[in-house]
Amino acid sequence: MTMASLFLRIFFFFMSIFMVATPAFSNEEDNEFGILFNAPGVETTYYACSACHSERIVAQQGLSRKGWEEMLVWMVEEQGMFELEDAERNEVLDYLTTHYNVDRPNFPKRKTN
Amino acid sequence: MKEKNQKMAEKSRKITTMDESAKDRRGFLKSTSLATLATVVGASVPFYRHLPNGFIPAAMATENVLDGKDGLTLLNDRPVNAETPPELLDDAITPTNRHFIRNNGIPPEDVDAKSWTLTIDGFIDNPMELSIADLRQNFDVVTMALTLECGGNGRGFFNPPAKGNQWTYGAVACSNWTGVRLKDVLKKAGVQSNVVYTAHYGADAHLSGDPEKLPISRGLPIEKALSDNVLIAFEMNGEALHPMNGAPLRLVVPGWPASTAQKWLKRIQLRDQVHDGPKMTGKAYRVPAYKVSPGQTVPTEDFVIIERMPVKSLVTFPANNTDIGRQTEVRGHAWSGDRKIKKVDISTDFGATWTEAELDEPVNRGAWQNWRTKVSFSQAGYYEIWARATDSEGVMQPFAIDWNPKGYLNNTMHRVGVRAS
Repeated sequence: MTMASLFLRIFFFFMSIFMVATPAFSNEEDNEFGILFNAPGVETTYYACSACHSERIVAQQGLSRKGWEEMLVWMVEEQGMFELEDAERNEVLDYLTTHYNVDRPNFPKRKTN
Repeated sequence: MKEKNQKMAEKSRKITTMDESAKDRRGFLKSTSLATLATVVGASVPFYRHLPNGFIPAAMATENVLDGKDGLTLLNDRPVNAETPPELLDDAITPTNRHFIRNNGIPPEDVDAKSWTLTIDGFIDNPMELSIADLRQNFDVVTMALTLECGGNGRGFFNPPAKGNQWTYGAVACSNWTGVRLKDVLKKAGVQSNVVYTAHYGADAHLSGDPEKLPISRGLPIEKALSDNVLIAFEMNGEALHPMNGAPLRLVVPGWPASTAQKWLKRIQLRDQVHDGPKMTGKAYRVPAYKVSPGQTVPTEDFVIIERMPVKSLVTFPANNTDIGRQTEVRGHAWSGDRKIKKVDISTDFGATWTEAELDEPVNRGAWQNWRTKVSFSQAGYYEIWARATDSEGVMQPFAIDWNPKGYLNNTMHRVGVRAS
């Protein structure tokens, strides 16, 4: 168990004392970044995107770096996204280009309700 | 541990200073925006500063976004996008629990049908504000089976991939809709001679939480708006609309991209120019004015607005990848925007030979047409059932995708693989 997950366990233990209707957290520590592929850059990408929308729409895309760059420009210019600083922007673009490129290496498996 | 603690402390500092420094971009980005949060939970959040970073509100975490739906495939949960597997679209009329969901923003919380109003304004003689009771009392109430298909249905098969939800087959449905004809309401409003286009506005909120932004506002050429089967609907299959399908009031525009059929409808404005609302302009719901090769870059000014949806069919029985006997019924639906289906042909030998299926008339204009046939297999093995519809203009479904940059209008034949034994 990593320190991070220990911290989360303690945190959720205390949360469960205070919350009557505790949502299911069973997969929380495994899926901290939803369905996004867990690799360097995932955290920055997750928070940059999921402020407004689910990471599920990100995971469905398969784009070249140019495609992802255009996507970020569109998000900022038209969709009310805050502009990322250069370092973060590069981290996000590196992550997305590596794991969500046109060959769709991490295309999500379908789930039904 | 030390590093992690520092990171946590840094994050919590960012949250606590968020209200003092709205310009703290990192802090804002590292947590869900307050405006979005308020929109999602349906109220302001007084103690938001104590909400741990990235923490999902319980009211949101426990919400089943597909409540009232059965068997749909969830593509996206904020905004909600879900499609129906073809074999669950087998009914002649699509039950509400099998109707796909395509949201662009966050649905409104207050959807009280009694207090809901629809405003008709713009270039008309008599601006109106109508309650749903007014609509029922002052206009013919009609019920029609109407086909709604998302413009991006089938996008998932594009190569290179196109941006957006990767719909496969099931962003289409044909439910019974009850409402009044848009035509009747517009005639009473008195459409002025300079009107060329409608603009539709709904009550859903933009994902960013910015109240100045609209998630989507599309429209129709006035000729289409004045056609017989565009409805302002307040019932779906004889009951109130499903919340995710636009309750309490929506437009239903059969045979055109379903995005023209504004959900949570609040206002229809009549314009003397083509509407320029969100998802009307740029490349949204548009295709190149000419044929392009897969992956080709097309200048934005060369895109044109999609109008009618192309000829298409679906095999709803048997299901793909199933074991069957040496004989089976095959059935499904076929549709073509603003047109009728002339015939549906079936092949079980990868398109070498075809036989014509029995085809029903549409129950009304704008409804899909149901078809069925029996096929038998001479020996055990793997077969594919292909369906190919031909519309009243003689246009057939293609074998290959007519690729376009945004992944619209995929009307290729539906292939269903079966193992006969």
